[in-house]
Amino acid sequence: MRPRRPRGLSTQAADSCFDQDVTQDSELVARCLKDDPAAWEELVARYSRYVYAIVVQAYRFSDHDAEDAFQDVFLRVYDRLGSLRDPEAFRPWIAQLTRRVCLDRLSHAGREEPAEVVEPPQVEAALDELDEAFDIHEALATLPGNCREILDRFFTRDESYRTIGDALELPAGTIASRISRCLVKLRDELEGRSGPILESGGQRER
Amino acid sequence: MQTGDATSPALAEILDGFARDLPAPGGGTAAGIVAALAAALVTKAAHASSESWTEAAGVLAQASLLRDRCVRLADADARAFAAALSALDGKDEALVDRLDQAAEVPLQIADAAADVAALAAVAAECCEGAFRADAATAAVFAEAAARAAARLVEVNLTVTGGDPRLHRAQRFVADAAASAARALDAGR
Repeated sequence: MRPRRPRGLSTQAADSCFDQDVTQDSELVARCLKDDPAAWEELVARYSRYVYAIVVQAYRFSDHDAEDAFQDVFLRVYDRLGSLRDPEAFRPWIAQLTRRVCLDRLSHAGREEPAEVVEPPQVEAALDELDEAFDIHEALATLPGNCREILDRFFTRDESYRTIGDALELPAGTIASRISRCLVKLRDELEGRSGPILESGGQRER
Repeated sequence: MQTGDATSPALAEILDGFARDLPAPGGGTAAGIVAALAAALVTKAAHASSESWTEAAGVLAQASLLRDRCVRLADADARAFAAALSALDGKDEALVDRLDQAAEVPLQIADAAADVAALAAVAAECCEGAFRADAATAAVFAEAAARAAARLVEVNLTVTGGDPRLHRAQRFVADAAASAARALDAGR
């Protein structure tokens, strides 16, 4: 039985650093294949930003073309999800699908007949960066709420220790140590996923 | 910059910039740079302690961000000060706004410097022994930067006795002083 087409595909992803739900991709995929609309919505929300970033940052599509490519990607996800052999590998699968959509659009761009295109040189490096950012985002979601908040306040919102301390009713002199401990937890989570993280340059051993 | 490069052309040029008979760059920019230098020393201590101190990487990440923040604020202070002087010369109608910004930026520098001092205190207590003096030095520099920036908040024309910004600046100085004392104690 074909799953129902999800409604309201959008490039606007849930913009929260505090996702409480850490449902595995494999579970989401299984629920989508059972025609669960909420699972489809969650899958789209989870990967909207990732897909859009590949299209815009790696392939440098304009906003208009990116919107079209984005829609294409998720229509293909809907049509082909049943062919995914390893549900735990959903992310690399959707990345590959997105690359194919982008290359197809590039090969057809302004032509009557499709032409052979070479993948732009910046794509691999951009995809590596996006994957790393996604890993960090997923790892952050597993941290306790107080860690997510303190890391978000310092690194994303650029708040000072005094501002954070006042907001969270904590002594300002303890904020630096708290941030360090939360970063240790984040690193442990990331290393648990993909192996040791090298110290200098932030490059991860794969 | 390598050992023995204390008189490198780049450093000489920076110092010459401050020595010129011009209002900017002035004390606020210098305070931001000193705080950034302190953050760089904390980075050194953390980097050197990566094998022995579990939280070193976390301290290094914070120090890097604080250094960037202080550099941005040092640049912003020079621009804000120049804009304020221009407004005082009657060339700009937004006098109050310009003067306000000239107080706001040093206030942010004092805040950032207090953070650097706090982080330096943590480093002074936990980093490799050979680098604890560097971390303590960083805390002292950061306290000085906070005090200098707070003074600039006080002397700004828009800041009067009851202005909450004065209270905030004094709090940042107190925070930085406490951190510096803690860092110096750790080094003993």
